[in-house]
Amino acid sequence: MLAFLDDPKVLHGIYALGALTLFFIGLYGLLAKRHLLKMLISIAVMELSVYLLFIGLATSPGETAPILSDGLTAFTDMADPVPQALTLTAIVIGLAVLGLGVSLAIQYHRLTGKVDVASMTELKEL
Amino acid sequence: MSWMLRLLFLAVSLSPAALLMAWDADLSWPLIEGVRLSLTLTPLAGFFLVLLALVAPLIALPMLRRPSDVPSLVLFVLLLIGMQLLLLAGDFVSFFIGWEVMTWSSYLLLLRSPRTDMVTSQSYILFNLASAFLLLAGILVFYSVTGDFLIRAATEVSRPQALSLVVLFGLAFLIKAGTLPLHIWIPRSYDQAPDLFSAFLSGSISKMGVYGLILLLTLFPDALTGFAGRFLNGPAVGYLLAWVGVITSIVATFKAISQEDMKRLLAYSSIAQVGYITTAIGVGSSLALAGALYLALVHTLVKVLLFISVAGIVLQTGQRRFNDLGRLIERMPISFFGVLIGIIGLAGMPPLPGFAAKYLVFVSLVDARWLLLLAAMILASTAAFIYCYKLVYAPFLGHANSPEAREAREAPWPYLVPQVILMGLLVLFGLFPGLAIDVLIDPVLVGLQMAPIGSESWAKLSTAYGGYDGVVLMLVFGTAFALVTGLFLLLRGRMRRAGSPHDLSFAGEVPTAETPLHYGAGMGRELRRIPLVGWILRQGTQGFYLGLAGQMRAAAALLGTLYVGRPQTWILIAVVVFALSLAVQAMMGGL
Amino acid sequence: MTLPLTPVWFVALPLLLAFASPLWVRLRLLMPLLVGTPAALLLLAFVLLPEVRTAPLLETIVIAPPLGIHLQLDSASWILVALISFAGLLTNAFIWLADGEPYLRDRRAFVFLLLLIAGCNGMVLTGDLFNLYVFLEIAGVSAYALSALRRDASALEAGLKYLIIGSVAAVFFLFSVVLVYLQTGQLNLAAIAVGFGEIPGPMQILIGLLMLVGLGIKAELFPFNFWVPDIYQGSHPAVAGLYSGLLVKVFLFVLFHLVFLLLADPKVVGIWLMGLGAATMLIAEVVALRQEDLRRMLAYSSLGQIGLITLALGFGVEATTAGGLFHMVNHTLVKLLLFLTAAVLLRSFVSAQLADLAGAGRARPLAAALFVLGALAVMGLPPLSGFASKLWILKGFAEAGVFWPVALILLAALIEAGYYFRWIKVLYDPSVQLQAVHPVGRLAYAPMAVAAGLIILLGVAPFLVDALFSEGAQALLDRGATLTAVLGAGS
Repeated sequence: MLAFLDDPKVLHGIYALGALTLFFIGLYGLLAKRHLLKMLISIAVMELSVYLLFIGLATSPGETAPILSDGLTAFTDMADPVPQALTLTAIVIGLAVLGLGVSLAIQYHRLTGKVDVASMTELKEL
Repeated sequence: MSWMLRLLFLAVSLSPAALLMAWDADLSWPLIEGVRLSLTLTPLAGFFLVLLALVAPLIALPMLRRPSDVPSLVLFVLLLIGMQLLLLAGDFVSFFIGWEVMTWSSYLLLLRSPRTDMVTSQSYILFNLASAFLLLAGILVFYSVTGDFLIRAATEVSRPQALSLVVLFGLAFLIKAGTLPLHIWIPRSYDQAPDLFSAFLSGSISKMGVYGLILLLTLFPDALTGFAGRFLNGPAVGYLLAWVGVITSIVATFKAISQEDMKRLLAYSSIAQVGYITTAIGVGSSLALAGALYLALVHTLVKVLLFISVAGIVLQTGQRRFNDLGRLIERMPISFFGVLIGIIGLAGMPPLPGFAAKYLVFVSLVDARWLLLLAAMILASTAAFIYCYKLVYAPFLGHANSPEAREAREAPWPYLVPQVILMGLLVLFGLFPGLAIDVLIDPVLVGLQMAPIGSESWAKLSTAYGGYDGVVLMLVFGTAFALVTGLFLLLRGRMRRAGSPHDLSFAGEVPTAETPLHYGAGMGRELRRIPLVGWILRQGTQGFYLGLAGQMRAAAALLGTLYVGRPQTWILIAVVVFALSLAVQAMMGGL
Repeated sequence: MTLPLTPVWFVALPLLLAFASPLWVRLRLLMPLLVGTPAALLLLAFVLLPEVRTAPLLETIVIAPPLGIHLQLDSASWILVALISFAGLLTNAFIWLADGEPYLRDRRAFVFLLLLIAGCNGMVLTGDLFNLYVFLEIAGVSAYALSALRRDASALEAGLKYLIIGSVAAVFFLFSVVLVYLQTGQLNLAAIAVGFGEIPGPMQILIGLLMLVGLGIKAELFPFNFWVPDIYQGSHPAVAGLYSGLLVKVFLFVLFHLVFLLLADPKVVGIWLMGLGAATMLIAEVVALRQEDLRRMLAYSSLGQIGLITLALGFGVEATTAGGLFHMVNHTLVKLLLFLTAAVLLRSFVSAQLADLAGAGRARPLAAALFVLGALAVMGLPPLSGFASKLWILKGFAEAGVFWPVALILLAALIEAGYYFRWIKVLYDPSVQLQAVHPVGRLAYAPMAVAAGLIILLGVAPFLVDALFSEGAQALLDRGATLTAVLGAGS
């Protein structure tokens, strides 16, 4: 019944839709929520959607993970390894940024007691 | 150390003179790819270099008085270097570099005065930079037309190109010269600048605008006649320029009369004089250019002399307003003679060379048959007598109106030496009106490929419309002066002092100690009651420029609201712009 | 074993030193090492210069094909690399010599500075789109951290704001990288350039716009630059000087590098970018008129100059491009000088507000004089270096007979004069007697004097370096040569 999912076009379409939905959810959170941590999480969600898009669209149904193990000795029907490697790198970077952001937010909260991005008014136009 | 520094400064101030003597080759200096600065000395630049060479050491000398202001000295040196570069420029890039160095160093010098306020300094720098940037725009248009930056006659220029060039260059130089709607920076800055620097501003820097205007004539040999043909006996475009000059002189003259402050009066007088020069350049004939150059020479000498005398008065009394001065003739006799000679030159009265200069301009106007202009110019130069009289009467004659004026002493010698030298020069040129023609002006005219004026002898000024003999004139006037003075001194012993000035009473009112009793007091107030003159005096362009500044501030406030400190707004704008441009592209390209 | 002198050191050396520094905390040599690294990089740049001028240096470190790090050092990127090292050196020297705020003289600050330098060098040198993203994030993270280093409310606020907007930019950029890879299957810039034309048009536009938003935010182009003044105001002026002097230049360079490399015909995009540049320039200059905070004013002025450089580079003619590159260098020198002056003034008088700095010219004559010099140079007044580069740009426009940018540039310069001279006038206000609160070491002026000296030298004798910029412009504009150099003659 779900055989139509084996069609790469359909599957890629679903991935793309899902990733875009996730992207817009992240964007919504970023624009609508004023809590610093929520904003940072929203950014992370946006990043995540891009990773998902990357991995999803670079892989077609039937391809295996690009790892030689469990008796696999030759690269047949293997997914393109580059997106996966790149996504791993990007995840690490994203994590670092998120970590820095959260730590800054916590320090800011400790110092001023504020968590609202709209209340950050130390620096502004006259 | 300090002595070394002073000597060095004096040496630098003599550099224009040295340059004039020693210049024999052309120099060049690469700047960037395709741009090479080349320095050369043309006769026209040589004339203005002579003016600079005369003025620079005369102003440098009093600047050295202790306590010396080292930044001022450094800036003055930079200013001199910039002006020499400007005059020696053989290409427009060097010209512009010199122009800009002159602009910013003079601005920084202006700031050395404690009286300079924000409006003055901002209007000075903004007008001058606007002039500089118009010049640069003109230079770039010129470059795109001719393919290089060399200053030379532009041939093969199409009409719109020539028009844009003339407008850009013309506006740039008119701002610097300070003709009417663009003059607003002059009175304020001449007034508030350091007293000696005002002399340099009026004497030398304003002449650079004149230099530029004459240079513009050399760029387009037929600029004046080529555009719109001839009007009466002169060029039609020049007619417009001449009216700009004359209107400038008339308005500035009346403004000058109504001033209560010596330096401000001189500033307006300076605008008026440069207005005459502009008129003469507008006429554009060989006679007129000779007149323009002669006027430039006389105006430089006279204004430097007057500003230094005034600087001496301000130094000794701390007062600048006519109402606070008076009776200084006994305390500052040399300064008195300085101002006296100065105003005779300024008013263009015989026997001093101001007369020769104005005579040439008048004759050129007659030659062009622009008689309406001639009448207007005579009106302006006659009205100028009033402020000239005020300038010598109010500080030196009458009654001393402040304690400082009562106790003043003669200005120190570094102020007096330049005055004496300048008086000597003025008398010399008065005796020999042909000298300036022969030595200074004719070479320029020949260099511009115009007919020289020529003179039979140095004592004579001769034109096709007649001339005069300077020695004879000087002898007549000198004799008359000696006779009158002698008679006065002889009879003076018999006169008795009437009494205290406060014995005087008029119309039943008894003047108090505060009532200014000198002749020029309240002259401006009375002038405003004359119908046309009053209307002219009430008009001003200041409101327009202030409005412009206000509009800019409003625009800044409006655009500043874009830069709100909210990250979510930044992101929203970015996303919206992204989506919009995507949509636009989709509609245009049919995604 | 001798270490070959290759471009990889520009990235590797600062990275290695930065990451290894926690191991050597006890070493007395550590701090001078951290401070001096940019000097070593600058030296390396000059050693490599003769080689670079003959042919671009290419280096590929293969991890596993097709994964590898491609570095490319040509005449254009050499200018940026040398500039980065020099700016880093000046800033490090200033922080080290000024004996100022302890949080800036800390090991951490220098580590972040080195990371920033490594990231910038990497972005300029890399020939690989994904590495570009990685280096962008390295530079970004170190910049966020540097902004927040002071850890008071305003610094943390600046750091957080910077982090949020910077991450958004990075997400947009990453999105475009992903799309490019999905479309072409390549990450090497030259290989992408070959295949880019075959991507369907709408997708090209989408990729282009995503990149524009991502890099536009980072490169401070209107309408993506609203964050700039806040961040510059909250950060330490020396750090803000690096942002304005170095980070933005790198992003601009990357933006135009991509435009000129990927697009066979960059004209249309160039015109759009010129429009953005003009808007950036004019709006920033106008808004700067009403700024009362020195750091904010400098931020807007920096935006204005960025707009000018964008205008020049977007035109894509050799003269304007060379002038634009030269102007990048000049603006870096000038803004470093101005921001370091701001640092001195801020430290001396504890405020960067216009009203509090009235009369500072007499309390700190040297700093004020350097400010005047910098202001004159930034407005492009001769004989300072800003004039030479501006003339070059204007000359390029005049040669092409295009005059609207000339008019806008001159108008912007006039507006710029409106506020710089206002500040100068206030600094020399004679009616106020201002007393300095904190002393500033004499040595702090040394890096500023170096910058000032270079500004004057490059203004009086720009012919010393103009060939470099011409070659740089050729390298940047000559797409074919780059492609041949990277992919071989066959492609």
